Amino acid sequence: MTGGKSVQERYRRLKESALLREEDLYRRPVVRVGMATCGIAAGAAPVKEAFTRFIEEKGIDARVVEVGCMGHCYAEPLAIISKPGFPALCYGYLDEDLVERLVEDFLLNDDPCYEFALVALETNDVFPTFSDFPRGVHEQKIVLEHCGFIDPGDIDQYIATGGYGALAGALAGEPAAVLERVKESHLRGRGGAGFPAGLKWEAAVRAGGSEKYVICNADEGDPGAFMDRSILESCPHQVIEGMLLCAYAVGAAQGYLYIRAEYPLAVKRVQLALEQAREKGLLGTAILGTPFNCDLEIFMGSGAFVCGESSALVRSMEGLMGIPATRPPRLAESGFRGRPTVLNNVKTFAYIPPIINRGVDWFRSIGTAENPGTAVFSLVGKVSHTGLVEVPMGTTLRELIEDVGEGVPNDKAFKAAQIGGPSGGCLPEASLDIPIDFDSLQEAGAIMGSGGLVVLDEDDCMVAIARYFLEFTQQESCGKCTFCRLGTKHMLDILTAITEGRGEPEHLEILAQLAGDVKEGSLCNLGKTAPNPILTTLRYFREEYEAHIKEKRCPALMCKDLIVYYIEPSLCSKLCSVCVGSCPTEAIYTRTDGLKAIDQDKCTKCDNCLKTCPPDYNAVIKLSPPELLAEKEGKGS
Amino acid sequence: MSLIEGEEELIRNGVAEALLDHDRARESLIPLLLKVQGKLGYLPALAMELIAEALQIPAVDVYGLATFYNRFRLNPPGKHQIQVCMGTACYMVGGDIALDCFERRLEIGEDETTPDREFSLERVACVGCCTMAPVVVVDELVEGHVTPTRVDGILLSFGREIPKSAEKTEQEGENSP
Amino acid sequence: MSKKVTITIDGREIEAHEGEKVLWVALDNSIFIPNLCALKEKEHPSGSCRLCYVQVEGRPEPVTACTLAAKEGLSVQTRSPQVDRLVKSAFELLLSNHRLGCGRCPRRKSCALLKIARERGLKMRLSRLSALELDVEIDESPETFAFDRSRCLLCGRCVWICQEVARVGALGFTNRGITRRVGTFREVSLAQSPCTECGLCVEACPSGALYFKEKSDDK
Ligand SMILES: Cc1cc2nc3c(=O)[nH]c(=O)nc-3n(C[C@H](O)[C@H](O)[C@H](O)COP(=O)(O)O)c2cc1C
Ligand code: FES
Ligand code: FES
Repeated sequence: MTGGKSVQERYRRLKESALLREEDLYRRPVVRVGMATCGIAAGAAPVKEAFTRFIEEKGIDARVVEVGCMGHCYAEPLAIISKPGFPALCYGYLDEDLVERLVEDFLLNDDPCYEFALVALETNDVFPTFSDFPRGVHEQKIVLEHCGFIDPGDIDQYIATGGYGALAGALAGEPAAVLERVKESHLRGRGGAGFPAGLKWEAAVRAGGSEKYVICNADEGDPGAFMDRSILESCPHQVIEGMLLCAYAVGAAQGYLYIRAEYPLAVKRVQLALEQAREKGLLGTAILGTPFNCDLEIFMGSGAFVCGESSALVRSMEGLMGIPATRPPRLAESGFRGRPTVLNNVKTFAYIPPIINRGVDWFRSIGTAENPGTAVFSLVGKVSHTGLVEVPMGTTLRELIEDVGEGVPNDKAFKAAQIGGPSGGCLPEASLDIPIDFDSLQEAGAIMGSGGLVVLDEDDCMVAIARYFLEFTQQESCGKCTFCRLGTKHMLDILTAITEGRGEPEHLEILAQLAGDVKEGSLCNLGKTAPNPILTTLRYFREEYEAHIKEKRCPALMCKDLIVYYIEPSLCSKLCSVCVGSCPTEAIYTRTDGLKAIDQDKCTKCDNCLKTCPPDYNAVIKLSPPELLAEKEGKGS
Repeated sequence: MSLIEGEEELIRNGVAEALLDHDRARESLIPLLLKVQGKLGYLPALAMELIAEALQIPAVDVYGLATFYNRFRLNPPGKHQIQVCMGTACYMVGGDIALDCFERRLEIGEDETTPDREFSLERVACVGCCTMAPVVVVDELVEGHVTPTRVDGILLSFGREIPKSAEKTEQEGENSP
Repeated sequence: MSKKVTITIDGREIEAHEGEKVLWVALDNSIFIPNLCALKEKEHPSGSCRLCYVQVEGRPEPVTACTLAAKEGLSVQTRSPQVDRLVKSAFELLLSNHRLGCGRCPRRKSCALLKIARERGLKMRLSRLSALELDVEIDESPETFAFDRSRCLLCGRCVWICQEVARVGALGFTNRGITRRVGTFREVSLAQSPCTECGLCVEACPSGALYFKEKSDDK
């Protein structure tokens, strides 16, 4: 594009003024409070308020900044305190008392209260940094680089870190140069299927025509994942910059961010980010003074998992039911309003600015040859350090779970890693050494998905988890095609029967057959991947199915119909009646001898007594199959 | 459902207002429905008819959309909305138990509203606080680690009486609120 | 669509328009491929019934014929073990949600399901699946015809006709997933809907869901 020099000049001025405005971020003490949804839920708002209040009360010259998700959700509420002369320190599990102490001791005086610090963010001589922990060794942040460090509501903070520099650089050159870089980077789409982004963009360029669209898929429907939302809440500008680069490369003048209406905070922050970008001349007409025009808007999705599928997403934007269409045509040829459309995931777009900035070689030096870059996961479930993590592709699942996540808590045994959500599968211990990348996971029967990783332990029943996902896909199937609508229903019915103790030996065969047919016969990838949770659990945990069917026993003691609660008299104490009070249905009574017992007819198996029974006694146990009760009672009373 | 006086006026105004911000095109349908529901709390039949008329599309298409997407409701919600997270992490540690408890205490099922229109109950997928599983969102406020005891606590905080615990005698407590 | 190409179906060389969907090429040449949801006039096939699978030479997995465009040299087989397995499975899935008892069905002589069963040697009963609960209410409100949802296969032909050909817009799809159905605004009866009783939907129905009260197969 013409006027390369003046673009760079304009950008330089923007950055200078941003640096000037944000200068005090580096001079004054700054408290950054993590305020993404995860933080707010854990009580970050009062924490931030407390910081502000105490700082004011004490008359300290410091600034409190609202930032996004730092990734360490297990220790929420979190804050990073940077004070000149000290390394920046991260504190977790904050409450008002701790805040008061930090303000008093650290900000006012010079005691950083190391005993409460989780980690230092810069190398120093006194306190360990991330790289001193196993997590830090593996973690490498590209997409999450700025998340948790900058205020998502302040564009200057993003610009001050060099944000929008990639756009300025690109606008100084030709669109083809951007496309070329993205192609050479071998970046694969992070929405699940791993299709090369460059090829998709190229198809849209080839499609011709003057009206094209760019869409960011932030529908994130996987019921155990929240990466995309965290990114939008924490660093929306990086995604916006990526979309603009894409629009420039393919020649689109309009783009949309399809965000679920269930993500109000993300919608709000993106909206604000768009306004600020427009004000700075980074969005809209004549971007950075060039002839390049592109505007972005938010489209709010209305809660249908299937709308994450690209053709369904486009249909819902057109005011129709989100029902996948048959292919061809592909979206790159005929998408939104029948025009060539590039649709990519949030993370895919977020990779673009760093790739343009730092170059293809840098990007491809991370990860593996076929899968360059990093993988972003929301690591949840039975793992000590839950949160948002980013590791290079090719890291093994074991490293991710044991090092980054610090393993399974409470001395329980690891059972499976559920990866890829409803379209993915459960991988057992034996598969933990496979590297995380699109191809290896697919081979193992799971999929990368968009990055939900749920760790399951010995207390989790694999039949129940398969049933859970089938219930989800069955409810979320659009209902259009025969295999998905009816096939998932029959599979769910069979799984329900098995978990309720009505399983028949022939069920496993029928289940496997149906799963195969639905996988092959469904119209879209929702149906085609819906059987994965069944196929993987059948493959790796068949014995659990068999225990349910043949012995009517749930080995993980989870399926309600196959367990009973029982109070072991030899462990119960006459002096305690916590369980009696805790029972919501008054099923627990005091026996004549003062010990407690459960009236099975009233018991709803809510688990409350087991949770409340003091660890000194641990008298409440679960039995499966329920027949064991008669045996116990015969002996016990 | 018949409308009470003033309600029709409210609906007509709500729809007219929403129509001001959007093109009268099929593409505007979902934004329109979201906006109208944002104003009225639900999508009354009349609103759907008015929107269909304005966009010149069959009313059944508007209804089809409203019944396709989870977000839309056809009935007025309760004063307090209880959303139980059934995301993977929450389900695995007893999200369904929390849901059961609410159902038992409120004597309604999922997606229903109590007859006094005080509470409505629904399930949602991951609200992004898996660390605090099981999670319940009560009127936008996130409650973590929700056990049956906490369910009662939440309802009590809204002045809902809970059947007395059977600690003292065996007869007491059967009378529901 | 004017260019002519030669494709092979079950070993027979057939001339077709380039881009024409193989399903229609086959049917026009008296080669049967099971189908329910396809409508020739409809530009973009819905591809929902999943019965029209065929095997394309050079492709490992079966492909739906209603979406498969004819191009020079294309060679397909209407049967293969994989195709038969998928068709049988889709057929049984549909049956599991369809009221059987063909003897009393008004369409028992012209039913598309029966035709598929005959052509492919499939049974009109369930072998491995259990029957699902059916929508039993029959809407008899129109004067000339009735709508029995327990026989509806959700092929969508009536909806398309009602909206795009008759331009009435009484019928539409409502709900989602297993609860998806052909319905009216707020599920009122057809008589209360904008239905004009033009009858086009009844003619389009491949099963006994929509039928004329007077002209059923036994009159
Ligand atoms: C049922 C279903 C749900 C999906 N949900 C999402 C989603 O929530 N987010 C997403 O980015 N992609 C989702 N996808 C994948 C998209 O169809 C599409 O492949 C992706 O957004 C393309 O972007 P990418 O190339 O950057 O990965 C889903 C696909 C299916 C079949
Ligand atoms: S699963 Fe409940 S908050 Fe994520
Ligand atoms: S005719 Fe091809 S899917 Fe129905």
